[in-house]
Amino acid sequence: MAAVHGDAHGHGHDDHHPSGIMRWVTTTNHKDIGTMYLWFSFAMFLVGGTLAMGIRAELYQPGIQILEPELFNQFTTLHGLIMVFGAIMPAFVGFANWQVPMMIGAPDMAFARMNNWSFWLLPVAATLLVGSFFVPGGAAAGGWTFYPPLSTQGGLGVDLMIFSVHILGASSIMGSINIITTILNMRAPGMTMMKMPLFVWTWLITAYLLVLVMPVLAGVVTMLLTDRHFGTSFFNAAGGGDPVMFQHIFWFFGHPEVYIMILPSFGIVSEVIPTFSRKPLFGYSSMVYATASIAILSCVVWAHHMFTAGMPTVGQLFFMYATMLIAVPTGVKVFNWTATMWRGSMTFETPMLFAIGFIFLFVIGGFSGVICAIVPIDIQVQDTYYVIAHFHYVLVSGSLFALFAGAYYWIPKWTGRMYNETLGKWHFWLSMFFFNLTFFVQHFLGLAGMPRRIPDYNLQFADFNMISSLGAFGFGLTQLLFLYIMINCIRSGEKAPQMPWDGATTLEWTHLPTPAPYHSFENPPIVK
Amino acid sequence: MDKTNEKQASATIWQIAKAVMSAFMGIRKKSDLESDAEILKPVHVITGGIIGAILFVTGVLLVVKFVLS
Repeated sequence: MAAVHGDAHGHGHDDHHPSGIMRWVTTTNHKDIGTMYLWFSFAMFLVGGTLAMGIRAELYQPGIQILEPELFNQFTTLHGLIMVFGAIMPAFVGFANWQVPMMIGAPDMAFARMNNWSFWLLPVAATLLVGSFFVPGGAAAGGWTFYPPLSTQGGLGVDLMIFSVHILGASSIMGSINIITTILNMRAPGMTMMKMPLFVWTWLITAYLLVLVMPVLAGVVTMLLTDRHFGTSFFNAAGGGDPVMFQHIFWFFGHPEVYIMILPSFGIVSEVIPTFSRKPLFGYSSMVYATASIAILSCVVWAHHMFTAGMPTVGQLFFMYATMLIAVPTGVKVFNWTATMWRGSMTFETPMLFAIGFIFLFVIGGFSGVICAIVPIDIQVQDTYYVIAHFHYVLVSGSLFALFAGAYYWIPKWTGRMYNETLGKWHFWLSMFFFNLTFFVQHFLGLAGMPRRIPDYNLQFADFNMISSLGAFGFGLTQLLFLYIMINCIRSGEKAPQMPWDGATTLEWTHLPTPAPYHSFENPPIVK
Repeated sequence: MDKTNEKQASATIWQIAKAVMSAFMGIRKKSDLESDAEILKPVHVITGGIIGAILFVTGVLLVVKFVLS
């Protein structure tokens, strides 16, 4: 506890810091930067969400009512890019910034100035991406996967998107290097690797995945850029290139990217479930190894996104088998979470509700993933709403629900105030209801043959589309409730007790006051 | 320190293989994990992991070949 007292008196150190906006521009404090990441990602979540509302408004009825087809395609493309690169990924980095140093007993991130730079690249990239709507020809419209030839033919919006992806990639790589170095070098005495909280473990493995695959993405968008402007023919068959090669390189990044967006969620859920079950995590070591296993396997399954692009049977079977094997370590995790809850003294505060919601819905997304992995089925459902339903179950009720669980779980530690529990529960149940209303019916649409990325559809798809759109509007509005809950908590929430969750065992709860001081663990705690 | 070095030097191929196989399966006992953390160096795990990945890919390919034959 000596560290607590040391920190409680450590407030003098920030006296010389600039105030007002310059505090945020020049800050090197991991908590400030974490806060900026989280607000930035939420702002981008609202932008991406607004695009989703546009998409669902257009699809409310058959026919073209609101968006011209070209603009509709821009909406779907930018919705995907903004949600993946602008909302989900930075949100997890925000959590890492806040939590990793506190959970391992470090005073800050290893490279504090680089941390500032990693963040401030993001608004630049976001401006390029969102600004591309207003350039001649509009934003990129070839889908978030920007396959050539559409992406080699698009206008200035595609170039802006390419630069934006470059910048976002650079930011992610720097963030990952920072996280890896912090975890490997700055742990408190006694905090061995095998004592690290699972959130830290999952982020360590995620950061390695990011360092592995983000340069691949940077490479492929650079090849696209040179194809567009410098006369190369990497992806142009007429010049001796191969458009399918783009898909291979893109998905060598893209599939590990899926796990980059889900492994930190596993980490958050693995912190929340034991706390609210008042039991240690069941099978901690298996959880660590399962995370490693998922990360390794994620690098050898990429071509399951391309079964219909033309592939020898050997390739189809290889990628099908390898993909299905990922269900083994994922199943280990689901089993361990369930076993953690078994006979625990469970309570159901909002973080726990979102964590349980995560397990329930992520399993549905996982199962539909295994279904999509089966070649003969995938050939039927490729590019249909079945795939849309599948990955929204993974990314919305997976990643996003885990982010909500984490936000509710740690907001008392961050702000020293409690959120409104009743409203939090409303947020969960409304999200749960509207999420399923939006996306469950899309399985049926997909199986009935409705293709993705189209602004209009045949009459037989009308009813399910109307249900899905109503769900989407409800889900969108519900997220404004989350914004209200958070602002209300920060401004006028009740003072949080020192230990709001009596089952929490990680260092930020046991060794730091609530709220966490601006500078924490200047004297490292001794971990036993 | 000397003891640790001796221990690290004594990490057998079988121990590395077991750790890597566990990582591929996602299941490991706590006592084994602790002994892994003591005995294995990162270079062991990374080399073992790369060899394991090659073996895994070869294994799946062999199954595919068998299915198609």
